[in-house]
Amino acid sequence: MDETFRHIGKKKARVDALDIVTGKAKFLNDLKFPEMLHGAVLRSPHPHALIKDMDKTEAESLPGVRAVLTWKDVPDWRGGTPRYTRILDQKVRYVGDAVALIAAEDEEIAREATKRIRVEYEILPGVFDMDEAQKPDAPQLYEQFPGNVVTPGMPFFGPKSLREVVMGNVEKGFQDAEVISEGIFGYENIPNPIPLESPGAIALWEEPNHLTLWVSNQASYMDKITLFHVTNRTVNVRIIGGPCGGSFGSKFMSWQIQCYAALLSRATGKPLKLVLTKEEHLATFTLRPASRIHAKVGMKKDGTLTAIQGEWWIDTGYYSMTTQAQVAVGCGELQIMAQCSNWDLRTKIICTNRNASGIVRGFGGQELKCAFIPLLSLAMEKAEIDPLEFLKKNFVQPGGGYFWRDGIWYDYRGIDYRKVMEEGAERFGWREKWKGWLKPTAVNGPKRRGVGVGIHGNADIGEDASEAYVRLYPDATATIHSCVTEHGTGQITNYIRMVAEVLKIPMEWVSLTPADSMMTPYEFGPAGSRGTYAIGAAVIAAAEDAKKTLLELFAKKMSLQPQDLDTEDGFVFVKARPDKRLSWKAMSVDRTITGYGRFEPDYSLTNCMISFVEVEVDTETGKLILLRVVNATDVGRIIDPPGLENQLNGCLGSGGIDSAIFEEMVLDRKRGYLLNANLIDYKWRSFLELPVIKNVVLETPMPTHRFQAVGVGEIATSPGPSAILMAVSNAIGRWVHHYPLTPERILMALRGEEAQG
Amino acid sequence: MKLFEHHQVRSVTQAIRLLERYGGRAKLNAGGTDLLGLLKADVLPEYPEAVIDIKPIRNLKKIKLEKGLLKIGALVKLADLAESSLMRSQYPILAEAALRIGSPQLRNVATIGGNLCQDVRCWYYRYPCHIGGPILCLRKGGNTCPAVRGDHRYHAIMGGKGCMAVCPSDLATALSVYDAQVVISGPDGERNVLIMDFYYPLGYALQKNEMVKEVFLPPIPQSSKQKFIKFTLRKPIDFALVSVACLLGFKGDEVADARIALGAISPSPIRAYGAEKRLIGSPINETIVHEVAEIALRDTKPLSGNGYKVNIAKTLIKRVLADLRFNQKVDR
Repeated sequence: MDETFRHIGKKKARVDALDIVTGKAKFLNDLKFPEMLHGAVLRSPHPHALIKDMDKTEAESLPGVRAVLTWKDVPDWRGGTPRYTRILDQKVRYVGDAVALIAAEDEEIAREATKRIRVEYEILPGVFDMDEAQKPDAPQLYEQFPGNVVTPGMPFFGPKSLREVVMGNVEKGFQDAEVISEGIFGYENIPNPIPLESPGAIALWEEPNHLTLWVSNQASYMDKITLFHVTNRTVNVRIIGGPCGGSFGSKFMSWQIQCYAALLSRATGKPLKLVLTKEEHLATFTLRPASRIHAKVGMKKDGTLTAIQGEWWIDTGYYSMTTQAQVAVGCGELQIMAQCSNWDLRTKIICTNRNASGIVRGFGGQELKCAFIPLLSLAMEKAEIDPLEFLKKNFVQPGGGYFWRDGIWYDYRGIDYRKVMEEGAERFGWREKWKGWLKPTAVNGPKRRGVGVGIHGNADIGEDASEAYVRLYPDATATIHSCVTEHGTGQITNYIRMVAEVLKIPMEWVSLTPADSMMTPYEFGPAGSRGTYAIGAAVIAAAEDAKKTLLELFAKKMSLQPQDLDTEDGFVFVKARPDKRLSWKAMSVDRTITGYGRFEPDYSLTNCMISFVEVEVDTETGKLILLRVVNATDVGRIIDPPGLENQLNGCLGSGGIDSAIFEEMVLDRKRGYLLNANLIDYKWRSFLELPVIKNVVLETPMPTHRFQAVGVGEIATSPGPSAILMAVSNAIGRWVHHYPLTPERILMALRGEEAQG
Repeated sequence: MKLFEHHQVRSVTQAIRLLERYGGRAKLNAGGTDLLGLLKADVLPEYPEAVIDIKPIRNLKKIKLEKGLLKIGALVKLADLAESSLMRSQYPILAEAALRIGSPQLRNVATIGGNLCQDVRCWYYRYPCHIGGPILCLRKGGNTCPAVRGDHRYHAIMGGKGCMAVCPSDLATALSVYDAQVVISGPDGERNVLIMDFYYPLGYALQKNEMVKEVFLPPIPQSSKQKFIKFTLRKPIDFALVSVACLLGFKGDEVADARIALGAISPSPIRAYGAEKRLIGSPINETIVHEVAEIALRDTKPLSGNGYKVNIAKTLIKRVLADLRFNQKVDR
């Protein structure tokens, strides 16, 4: 394999950089169409109620209003897994649930119309906690979910979709254990990923059943598939994706907003734009699932895990579309970091009367492990084992394996990550800072410092299929046909980089089609950390396929064999005599060459990131400051140095490390309001308050594709939160187990009281 | 945002005339950093018919010393307060309080008048209308304060009379130690209100037809030591969870003048007069500091979920005193 690259691993400006910084890039809300209408949603003031009666005549008669739709006016489109959640329903299930949709000539009129709809509700009691929801007399959100327990299993993952981890003999495992820890732990602060750009859609309905949607999403092609099913396979959907102003997983799916826009366009015959306000984005768009475990672990004194047993409960809010998938992946990811022979881990998804949970980076694994690592820490303390040694011992190594999301066992065929764990520890100074469990690193009057460590690995780097075409033109340019959109990580530039590398042409000669599902083949999208491996593999394969055809064509023209030839800078040349060459122009103007590439799922590899944190706690005010972070990962090969660094620095926000410090959605658990749906009260770290972040990146070639890379993807946020809990516990000498660690919780812990929530 | 009429005025008289014309259905706009958010999220109990832009009024933009009185026009920007060398040397508490508000972008447009008159940050009061709001409360025609039985982690720990929202203005806390007066203009001329009396349980001392014209500060004792501390979750942007402003004058080792103001714990800034009294005539030592902190927070009645603010307030008082004592010794 050629180790000298023109583009791979080089610092290059993103292809969209200039457009973004000069404001030229067109995000969804910049798009305008002739006769375009605007949509708004009337939302429920009650967490749980039946709509008894509605009067929309006043709203309809407001000048400029074109359509008002209620649950009686819309087809029976349903989302959720299973599909029980109607797009508009007679029942509302959270404060903010959609009650009516309005189309009007401008946004102000549409909003005004929402106030002129009279709704008579029969108020039902609401339930906001997983324990309460399972009680026999609890309010029932759906008749299909008795006890508010959601049907397990993710059909998309196949019939054996992972919903539990059961193997070995836990009873014997506990007998073999030298220490056992047990308890209830949670990660229930439902942090909000809040990409800068609020979710939205523009829809154009054409009778009888054609729907075109302009979106700014993470996975444009998947929107087509999701909506096809939501509309009971009655609507032919075309998606046109544009630049996505951030997603962090959340904008992988916005079927409700897309359906609202579609229904309003259908009712009016006009293109219609519906974009959530930032408050709606925070309070009605999907949150991280809440996670709680009742569990027990057994361990040897040397850190060997002997048994893991328990139940994992997930509060999905008022419905689940992907929570079953998060359960499946979460169960897999726990096995990756906690290799153990004896398991009995069951799961249960519960719905409550709050806004729904959905996809957020860390997808299941972060949710489970943020609750699980505190439990493991108790056992590690009893065993007096350094958590770094525990993580090194128990993270999957060659020879190990795991049940992945499809319920199938995979033998791990990747690298041994202990080397990068050790390098990270060295950079951080772990061995000097670690003083033992519940022991501070340093004490300075009321201020105490502590350190913590966490880890995450994900076998979804090879999840799902990708397809791409690469088309070569006689002017020596190439176009990638892929339904991938730029969601902020710079991966579009990297696919261009990979294709340019394969074809040995300048990156400027390679372009990418718009993410139009009509023009491009299937693409699952950059999710599950799969961008570098899975999408990269499809794009590379398409470029290689095109190159093969090119060389075959030129071999005929040059009366040689294809294997005698190669191409560089738009010339095909004879390998033995590089001066003997022919321009791509020779393919003639009446020809293009198209290569096709496909990636088939591969769950036998994982990525890995370890994060070390140092915090300072003010024991008199409860104030917690994050001083320092060291992230360490092995990416196989660095494709995009600044992009990778950005991704690693993303460990703080979007429900990452800061979900242990101050990020949380505050739910009024009596009345169901999400109280902090604004960017003052939702505590989001600003650039004026960044800790020192150092990243250690190794490049051990991985058995993936031509460039032997895996990237780091979504997992940058995942190791951090539990590491913060560990660091604060060590700093103050008492266990803290609640997210986030508000001053109130820290002061309570210092007084020896148990925190709530 | 809904439609409203927009007026620009060039004098206080014009502004008052317009306020009278709209009879309470108009809002004054200076920097707009609070008002525009309120309008966009439709927070106000009544949407205003008109917005009156007072930025063009020229004579409200100055900081000046007149016969020992420091006068600050209502349109002086927070950035100017924070950067003014006069403020930094003579009134460092006010300069520091201004500097700790929002972000540079906000301080470049927000004004002192707007900061004093900003609406409360209570998340029940500010709950957005278009997501199933508004939530009825005492400010919106309801009978109870929903925060009392809800999540009130940021709410008042003392002085709440029904509504438990706290005064969000750091400048009000700072001005309290200077015994500042707010000059209010109305149809019948001007009147002065002490800053501590400016805030009412459900609003301000302002009548419908009145506006804040300026703030004046009486002379401060020579060689006093001053400090402002603001406790927030995030360093920038955030409103205070608790703030403390303290001014001390010394005679030898003994405290001759003491002023302590507490912010964000009550609907108005609180002067800890009892604590001040205890300090005067004493040297500052650990026992006194502890005692003073206890006295200052003696009358608090925290709700079930915000008692931690009492701890934080006590700590801040102890730290501010220790810090001023330290400085005092260094200075001698």
